[in-house]
Amino acid sequence: MIEAKDVGLRYPDGTLALKNIDLRVEPGEIVYITGSNGSGKTSLLKLFMGAEYPTMGSLKVLGQPVVKGQAAAIRQLRMAIGPVFQEFRLIKGRTAMENVMLGMRFLDIPPGQLKKNAGDALVKVGLEHKAHSLVENLSWGESQRVAIARAVARKPALILADEPTGNLDKDNALKILELLTSFKDKKTAVIITTHAPHLIEGEKDAKHIRMEKGSMNWERLG
Amino acid sequence: MKNFFYNAAYFLKEAKTVIRLNLLSNIFSLFSTGLIFFILAMVISCWWISAQVVKAIQEEAEINVFFDESIGDGDVMQLLGKIKGIEGVREVRVVAEDEAYDRMAAILGKEARVLEFFDDNPFSPFIEVKIYLEKMDTVLEELGTLTGIQHVRDNRAVLDRLRNIAGVLNSLGYLVVAAVGISTLVIISHIIRLGIFNNQEPIDTLRLLGAPEFFIAFPFLLVGLLLTLGGGMLAAALAAFALKHVYIQMAGPLPFIPLPPREALVSGMIIVVMSLSAILGIVGSLFGLSSAKSN
Repeated sequence: MIEAKDVGLRYPDGTLALKNIDLRVEPGEIVYITGSNGSGKTSLLKLFMGAEYPTMGSLKVLGQPVVKGQAAAIRQLRMAIGPVFQEFRLIKGRTAMENVMLGMRFLDIPPGQLKKNAGDALVKVGLEHKAHSLVENLSWGESQRVAIARAVARKPALILADEPTGNLDKDNALKILELLTSFKDKKTAVIITTHAPHLIEGEKDAKHIRMEKGSMNWERLG
Repeated sequence: MKNFFYNAAYFLKEAKTVIRLNLLSNIFSLFSTGLIFFILAMVISCWWISAQVVKAIQEEAEINVFFDESIGDGDVMQLLGKIKGIEGVREVRVVAEDEAYDRMAAILGKEARVLEFFDDNPFSPFIEVKIYLEKMDTVLEELGTLTGIQHVRDNRAVLDRLRNIAGVLNSLGYLVVAAVGISTLVIISHIIRLGIFNNQEPIDTLRLLGAPEFFIAFPFLLVGLLLTLGGGMLAAALAAFALKHVYIQMAGPLPFIPLPPREALVSGMIIVVMSLSAILGIVGSLFGLSSAKSN
C-alpha cells in the first residue's frame, strides 16, 4: 500500500524536512506517527497524498509512484485517499452534508449513492442531526467530525489524519482516535499523526513511527 | 464526467457563491460589461443603418451619357443596347429633353422661373446609366470605346467619395468591434482571476481531494458566462430603448434617410450582442483560468 525507500524531502528554501525514510504499510494496518512540532509528521503525510514529492529516494502509494509531472496519476491517487486535514479545510457557506458530498461528487460513485454515503458517514460520526447546518456554525469538535465523515464517505483505501487530536483534552482525543481507527478494515489502512504519544500507549496491533528532526524510528505497539 | 448533469445544480450553486463572495465587484463588472456591450450595440446599429443608407445611395449611382443629337432614333436604341451589355450596368434608359427640363424645374423649385428666360429648352436628351458603384471604372472604360457618344458626365468625385465613406464606415465598425471584444476579454478574465484568488482555499482543498481541474474550473467559467450574458442583456435593453428614441427623433426632421425597419434592426442587434457576450464570456473565462493556473 505504501512503500518508501530512503525517502527524503528538501523544501525549495533548502530546509531538509525528511531524510532516510524507509517504511512499508500494508492494507488493514493502523500506523501512528508521533513527534514534536516540526519533526516532519505533516511533511510525511503530504508525501503520501501527493501534495509534495520526494526529492530523494522512491515512494509508492497504492501502487502509484509519487513523482512530479504525473498530475493525472496523482489526482487518481488522491481520489483513493481519505484525508483529514489539520485545519479540517471544510468549505464555508455549505452545510455539513454538502461538504461530505462535495468530497465524492467527482468520484465514480452513482449519483443516487452520493447522498446515502454522505448520510451514512454523518451517522457514523454522530452528526446526523447537524447534516443541514452550515459548517461555520459548527463547534471545533463537530467540524472535525465532519472532516472525518468527508474522508470516510469516499470509502478510501487509505485514511490520512493529520493531528486530529490537537487542541483536544485526553478523553475527546481518545474518542477521535477510536473513531478513526474504527474505519480500518482488511482493505483500508489508517495513518494518524499526533504530537501526544501518551494517547497511543494502550494501542495494540498498530505500528508506531516516531519522528525526530525528519528521521524516523518505528516499532510495533502491543 | 459521468456525473456532470447530476452536478449541474452544484455548479450553478457554486457560481452563485463565487458571485456572492465578491458581490460589489461583480455588480460593477456586470454594469461595466453592460456599458461596453451597449457601446457595441449602438456601433453595430449605426453600422447597419449607415450600410443601409450607403446601399440606398449606391443604388442611385448613375452616369449620364450624352450622345450626338444628329444620330437617329435607331442608332440611339442601338447605343442603348450596347451600354446595357456592359458589365456593371444595372439599368439604362433614355431621358428626353422635356423630361430633363422637368427634372431641373423640380430641383430648382421656386427658382425654376429662371428657365423661362430661355426661348428653347436648353437641355439635351441623354442616356441615364445606373451602375454598380464598385464597377464604375470598368463601365467608364467600356463607354470610352463606344461610338456616337459626345461626352460622359461621370460624377466621379461624388461617387469616389461615396465609395470612401462606405469603406471608412466598414473599417471603423470592425475596429470598434475589435476594441470592445478585447476590453470585454480583459475585464472578464480579470474578474475570473479575482474569483479564483478569493476562493484559493476551497480550490486547494478540492485539488487535495483529487477533484479534476474541469470540476474546479467549471463554476468560474459559469460566473464569466453569467456576467457577460447579464451585461449583454442590460446592453440589449438599453440599446433597444435608445434606438426607439433615435427613430422617433429621425422620423420628423430627416425623413429622407432610408432607415431599416426598427424591429428587424433591434432583433438583429440583440442576437449579435447576446452571441458575442456568450462567446466573449467563455473565452474571457478561459483566459482568466489559464492565467490564474499559470500563477
